[in-house]
Amino acid sequence: MTPLEWAIVALAAVGAFFGGVAAVGIVRLPDIYTRAHAASKSDTLGAVLALAAVALAIQTDLSTIKAVFLLLFMFLTNPTAAHAIARAAEDQGIRPWAAENREGDP
Amino acid sequence: MTVPDPHRLLVPVDDSVTVRNTVAYAIDQAETLRRDGDAPVELHFVVVPGTRAVDPDAPEELGAATDLLDRVAVWTDEDFGGDPPEGLSVTLEVVGADRYLFSPGDYADVLLEYAADRDIGRAILDPEYNPGGAAPMLRPLEIELARNGLEVEEAPVEREARQTVLARAATLPKYLSVFAASYLFYLLLSPWKPLDFFTGAITATLVSALLAPIAFSKQPSITRVPVQLVRMTIYVPYLLWQIALANLHIAKVVLHPSLPIDPTVVRYRAAVWGDAPVTTLANSITLTPGTLTISVSDRAFNVHSLTDNSRDDLEAGGLERAVRFVFYGREAAAIASPGERDDCEEVTYDG
Repeated sequence: MTPLEWAIVALAAVGAFFGGVAAVGIVRLPDIYTRAHAASKSDTLGAVLALAAVALAIQTDLSTIKAVFLLLFMFLTNPTAAHAIARAAEDQGIRPWAAENREGDP
Repeated sequence: MTVPDPHRLLVPVDDSVTVRNTVAYAIDQAETLRRDGDAPVELHFVVVPGTRAVDPDAPEELGAATDLLDRVAVWTDEDFGGDPPEGLSVTLEVVGADRYLFSPGDYADVLLEYAADRDIGRAILDPEYNPGGAAPMLRPLEIELARNGLEVEEAPVEREARQTVLARAATLPKYLSVFAASYLFYLLLSPWKPLDFFTGAITATLVSALLAPIAFSKQPSITRVPVQLVRMTIYVPYLLWQIALANLHIAKVVLHPSLPIDPTVVRYRAAVWGDAPVTTLANSITLTPGTLTISVSDRAFNVHSLTDNSRDDLEAGGLERAVRFVFYGREAAAIASPGERDDCEEVTYDG
């Protein structure tokens, strides 16, 4: 394998790992706010790394540029979406889960 | 120096829609004070020339300031029906013209200095006071003045209901910037055939015609925007690094068998002003170590943080500093961190 291929595989693998972390986080974390953390951060990085792998793999100039733009927009839109969800939850009066209620309440 | 005297009123004025009513209210208050007590009442109207007057010798800016004071003088004459009565003195002054003013803190410093020199104990603010341009100024200024022992009051003047303005009058620079940005974007994505240049121009024209009025909240400046873009390219690698750290941190916490989280919500007053910086900071906070912006109003952020660790990072204020650097330059990065300013507090929920 060439170094480029290694890079592509590494990016895709790390991206997949963080995508997995996001999924595990959504299952394991206790409430909407903490889950939004997993969804906004790990998911962004996972998708962005995968896109970076795509950009390297395609190699034709135009599509690479498009992939890079997609990547940039992920950085802009993902936190915005997470913010919208968290804010909607706050508007609904949902209280954040706190460490005290680790026992008992979910 | 003696104790600040509540009979001495400081009224910062600016060319706003409500300045006339604010002046009237201040005079009314001064009159009431004079009639109720026997202490002499002083009324100080001061103009702080805005950031536009960076060049202290810019004659037109100082001209605008003295112009405004002339108008205030006419209004006081009108309201007193001539000279101010016995026991009430009116002072008109331009202050801070020799300084580079940039944040509400700077304005507050100038006003506080003036107030301290003259033992002024009370300030009346115009609710539309905003000498700094587009960035909201009033709240931070009020807080700053009140913290330094002034009695602060907003003049209860009538004004038109203020809503967030989405569309503003579009100007040529706005059209040109939107056109240039969309044309460049189009060409980047096109295979560079002659036809593309043509269709790109048409598309960019349409886009700028439709979006120029809402694309900017204030006039794009030909000198400032490129500098901000350059600083942005310094910021992005830093942000990427922070994002990488954030994800390792989250991965560690999420995959840890005992799930060591201790979430809290922190209310956090950021020292950034204006739409673009606040948005950038809010998004950056969401992307980085264990913190998530829940809601923002003006510059008060409600930030949900996952662990203690991430809370400390927030208080250290690295991101905030970086965002200030991008939008305002290096000297702005030196403002104290949120922890030092005591601008973070934990939000507790009852029950």
